[in-house]
Amino acid sequence: MNLILKKDQLNHLLNAWRQDYEVYAPQSLENFTHFLPLQDGFELAFDKAHNTRIPPKALFLPTSEALLKFTRFGGYEQVPSETAPRLIFGIRPCDAHAVTMLDTVFEQERYMDPHWVARRDAAVLIGLGCHVPCQTGFCTTVGSGPFNHAGLDAILTDLGEIFLVETLTEKGERLFTQLEIATEEQSTQASEGQQAAAASMPIAFETEWLKEKLDQNFVSPYWEEVSRSCLGCGVCTFLCPTCFCFDIVDEAQRGERVRNWDTCMFRTYSLEASGHNPRPSRVERTRQRLSHKYSYWVDQINQIGCTGCGRCVRYCPVGLDIRAMLRKAHQLPSEVAHAQ
Amino acid sequence: MPNEAQSPYLPIPMHVLHAYYESTDRSLKTLELSFDEPQDAREFFAAFNPGQFCLLSVIGKGEAALGVASAAWEGDFVRFTVQKMGSVTTALHNLKPGDPIGIRGPLGNGFPLENWKGKNLVIIGGGCAFSTLYALTKHLHHPSNRGDYSKMTVIYGTRTSGLCMYKQDIAAWHQRDDMEVHQAVDVPEEDWLHHVGYVPDVVKEVSPSPVNSVAVVCGPPIMTKYTLPALVGLGFTPETIFTSLEKRMKCGVGKCGRCNLGPKYICKDGPVFSLAELNALPADL
Repeated sequence: MNLILKKDQLNHLLNAWRQDYEVYAPQSLENFTHFLPLQDGFELAFDKAHNTRIPPKALFLPTSEALLKFTRFGGYEQVPSETAPRLIFGIRPCDAHAVTMLDTVFEQERYMDPHWVARRDAAVLIGLGCHVPCQTGFCTTVGSGPFNHAGLDAILTDLGEIFLVETLTEKGERLFTQLEIATEEQSTQASEGQQAAAASMPIAFETEWLKEKLDQNFVSPYWEEVSRSCLGCGVCTFLCPTCFCFDIVDEAQRGERVRNWDTCMFRTYSLEASGHNPRPSRVERTRQRLSHKYSYWVDQINQIGCTGCGRCVRYCPVGLDIRAMLRKAHQLPSEVAHAQ
Repeated sequence: MPNEAQSPYLPIPMHVLHAYYESTDRSLKTLELSFDEPQDAREFFAAFNPGQFCLLSVIGKGEAALGVASAAWEGDFVRFTVQKMGSVTTALHNLKPGDPIGIRGPLGNGFPLENWKGKNLVIIGGGCAFSTLYALTKHLHHPSNRGDYSKMTVIYGTRTSGLCMYKQDIAAWHQRDDMEVHQAVDVPEEDWLHHVGYVPDVVKEVSPSPVNSVAVVCGPPIMTKYTLPALVGLGFTPETIFTSLEKRMKCGVGKCGRCNLGPKYICKDGPVFSLAELNALPADL
């Protein structure tokens, strides 16, 4: 059902939600925006930037999190999973879509990750569509979009003085019971705006046969060419909403076994005890990053493992642009493409 | 609403039953671990299949992935042979009988024993990677299992005779009439009565028949690299050659991303793969 939320009522509504939820929304902190819990007198930061620097995956998979607590005499116990109800307001569709991809990793039947599951179950995601898509984003290229519904309980469309609210799940419906119903005209205006936003985004690279090209050129000078300027800092993976790799370490002084975000862009990530390293240089590590997103995820869930949020483009210190890397990949020879 | 779901990161509480050196240079130590709770033992052995591995946990030090080196019928304990390499394996070497330890597992697929029924088994190992093959051989030795398989050939090479694991047991295997054992060392040694040479060459020398056979290879990467083509040369098809892969691991349950090999995770989709499966995966090892 489509509803109308007047912008001047938004803070009132957010405060009302704070009675029942810990409400997270993008707010300014130093030079960037972050998903932070709303405090009294909060100021939202929707206008300055689209995506927060750190993706909201961090709300479900914290950068650092204790898995076990050590007890005396060599014992240990499971750290209980956080389950306080959370409302995440203003998450962009690319980031919400990414969370649904991570669900396929952490909610596999055989090994459910209780920490992830508890936080996901306790969360409501209210999305804000991108009526003016960002410059670095390429969501429409990779099967997402500025108003994609995946993972969201409701989505807002900015119509100037008002937001049009589309509730997508029961969870979402329950949050907006006090609002008036949108007129047909308003709904049409929103839907036209949504289509115009998507249409305004150029196709960043060709995705047809991309997987086959990457697979068939596993050994190719291409990888050396596209990784030449890479510093191996790992920011592209750290800030990626679909990256989920983590390390597990014992923090003996704190008495905890902790998992921390990790990245395949680091040498030590794949370094084995024998000294052997399957990915000894940035060439192999870049290949892993791109192949994982554009080939391996496709094998696993039949979706490209990238939602086009554009963070890796925006934050790369040497200006490496995954879109350009993949345009170049499309020039690679491929048996399948030639056979067609 | 507290979530009490069992965490796949929570180790099973165990303690050290026996700890003894396996190699004369003391780089390899075998730990036999027993369960603190009988219920955990029942659940472990109900799920266990030779070829699987566990994450051994020394609290405060960390975890290390190790293949299980015992068969279920041997008793309510789980055996691991640990090569001293870094901080966790050093901590494992320092454990004494009675010390607490945690394990997570059994993890991974293990050997596809059901599909191997009725076949000749050629078991080829090198160095400390022989541990899961030892578990396999022990499993097959049980009277209720042995009849399900035909001829059994074990080829086991180590750099020196001192590095050979499970020495007493393997010495006894030579006396058995239901299996063939070929041992090898890399360089000649005084009083060594078996093969001398690298495993791929010994495999060619022994020349096991590929007819109605499967071969399973576990060893250091360099050995595996040359043994797989040697088997193909003997006429084994890629579907009948199996190997167990290793990569650095953290979670062991397909989440941390570390042992990713193409669309597979070695921890949850492996560690045992056929050569046919491997040929379809990227050479990212």
